Amino acid sequence: MDQQGKIRVLIAKPGLDGHERGARVVAFGLRDEGFEVIYTGLRQTPEQIVNAAIQEDVRVVGLSILSGAHLSLTQKVIEGLRRNRADDVLVLVGGVIPDADRTALKDMGVAEVFTSGVRIGDIAALIRLHADAVPVQVQP
Amino acid sequence: MIEREGAAGKRGNRIEEAHAEWREKILEPRIKRFNLKESPTRFHLPPGQGEESFLQKVGFPGQYPFTAGNQPFDYWQAYAPDAARLGYRPDWGGSGKVGKYGGFGTPEDYRDYLFRMQSMGRMGGPNIAFDLPTQCGYDSDSPYAAGEVGRVGVAIDSFRDFETVYEAYTGGLDIDKVPSNFTINAPAAVIIAMYAVLAKKRGIPLEKLGGTPQNDILKEFIARGTYIFPPRPSMRLFRDTCVFCTRRMKSLNINSIGGYHMREAGASRVQDLAFSLANGIAYVEAGLEGGLEVDQFAPRFTFNAFGGSMEIYREIALQRAARRMWAEIMKERFRAKDKRSMMIRQPITAHIGCISTTLARPLNNLVRAVIGGMAAGMSGGIPGAFPPFDEPLGLGHSQEAVQLQLDATRIMIYEAKVADVCDPWAGSYFMEFLTDEIEEEAASELKKIETMGGAVAAIENGYMQRAIAKSAYERQKAIEAREDFVVGVNCFTGDNEIEVTVNRVVEDTYDAKLLTTAEDRQKKKIQELKRQRSSRAVSRSLSVLKTQAGLEGENLMPAICDCVEHDATVQEICDALRDVFGEAQPVKI
Repeated sequence: MDQQGKIRVLIAKPGLDGHERGARVVAFGLRDEGFEVIYTGLRQTPEQIVNAAIQEDVRVVGLSILSGAHLSLTQKVIEGLRRNRADDVLVLVGGVIPDADRTALKDMGVAEVFTSGVRIGDIAALIRLHADAVPVQVQP
Repeated sequence: MIEREGAAGKRGNRIEEAHAEWREKILEPRIKRFNLKESPTRFHLPPGQGEESFLQKVGFPGQYPFTAGNQPFDYWQAYAPDAARLGYRPDWGGSGKVGKYGGFGTPEDYRDYLFRMQSMGRMGGPNIAFDLPTQCGYDSDSPYAAGEVGRVGVAIDSFRDFETVYEAYTGGLDIDKVPSNFTINAPAAVIIAMYAVLAKKRGIPLEKLGGTPQNDILKEFIARGTYIFPPRPSMRLFRDTCVFCTRRMKSLNINSIGGYHMREAGASRVQDLAFSLANGIAYVEAGLEGGLEVDQFAPRFTFNAFGGSMEIYREIALQRAARRMWAEIMKERFRAKDKRSMMIRQPITAHIGCISTTLARPLNNLVRAVIGGMAAGMSGGIPGAFPPFDEPLGLGHSQEAVQLQLDATRIMIYEAKVADVCDPWAGSYFMEFLTDEIEEEAASELKKIETMGGAVAAIENGYMQRAIAKSAYERQKAIEAREDFVVGVNCFTGDNEIEVTVNRVVEDTYDAKLLTTAEDRQKKKIQELKRQRSSRAVSRSLSVLKTQAGLEGENLMPAICDCVEHDATVQEICDALRDVFGEAQPVKI
């Protein structure tokens, strides 16, 4: 959380996928919902995303992927977060995700998968629910 | 809403009087009765334009300003009855036409797939989707390529890969007989060079090569995201390809200027039109800067579908306004004389855009696509239902969805005869009004961009990117606030509605096993290539390219062809240019 007690969210575009509409709209929307949102912009490697998540001390990482590479890219981000003991970060995935891959993503540790037609208010509600349930790690 | 008289002309007093009376006695009481602020419908008066104005602003199909269409009828209409009698499938391609857009895995995987399709009778030239690493100028062994090799298209790392795909195109399908389409932008110069080198190796004169490279880098910065170099050196590469194609590859189209990608990324209708025109102007200026005459190269510009919404009337008006505006820009501003320089040549016209499809009750997308097809058929295009209804369900269309899409198109053509009247709305009060309205708004947006210094400047300062992001968010807010309605998404979602499902077998195009192993196989091939080729010749050709890249006036195409011929990889060529040009940075929104 930042000084005003806002929940910090990182919206990230892993890989080379250039479809940015969803990421931008969700970033704008969560900002209006009262979150502190950092948007990475296009073409981030999983390592860059993990580093940004840790440096910015975010509670939530939202990955936006529409290239079909969601399984391997998400896996790498989650592994990176674990390696850096940041597994309390809530990971969300949005984009064009076939139903069959939802379970695989959730098994990896993704809290929720959002596809076309979702309301930003629902994403916000889910984040608040988890942020309340999981105590914030106090930095020494 | 009631529309007042357009700027064009005078209307008789009788109509004005009758209009005032109608407002007072019919419209206002009705608005009041339903307790509305304004009428939910529009009714348009005669635009007050006389015969002269009609001839000037609309005219006849095939004549300036092409508002009523590029031609009195499209080429496909000449063959429509035969196509029906013979059961022709456009997605299977025909001789002299491009085949179905596709590409996956390694070049070997894709070549084998093409052979299989050909054995089933699917003909036509290559219409190649490249994977994201290729589109972004990375080889398959780059860390940036991890997980993406062969995913959204075929991986092309070197000329050998390109040649492998073309093993499927020999004999009756040789490259002087079928055209090739390349959905490639930032490294378009490299792919065009590969095409030229292939022709050289096969002993085919360059001027016999047909097809279209997308080669529309500006919209990559605005919407699609596969850019490499900053805008200005990117435009220099465009200039070089434009001059090279004009002088040497005379049958090849130079580019495919897209409005559609910007709409998908959130652009409003007016932004779509204004930004596309601004980009088009920048490309014309690049060709002129390369020392060409406008009519030498502008006839080989193509466009890739303006449009992308469900609003059928406005999408038709957009097509009409776009044709008129481009024609005027080319004629008045650039002094073009060739009719083809003034035409918006595009394979499809109006359509709904994938962004209009919904994941909720997806079969409804077929209905939506038909509405887009109606708009196309009524605005000078083939009435094509696009996209297949299962577009939002994940990557890859099912055979069922493609069948229904094709049949919908056929029903519009043969049963409804949608395209039997050319520009059917011409002279209609409301359509002429809407066309003028879109033209006016787009002209004022275009002027704003020109004041900034044109498309390149408006990309460098982030104006276009921010404008589109803002429009996308506005649209989302309108949907969430239920100001705009999308059936099954933000309305009619109650318990009384049922989910309609259909049997859907995804076409076995992309063999999952091949996809998972593509990256490793491609990496091994790069190692092999680097062992086999002459590394001295590679570094020499790359260093020539680098030197020439530093000299603004040089045309880089011969040097790039040389690199390609010596088996330099796509990334090596792009890296040489990155060293000189630098890399584009994403705009902070």
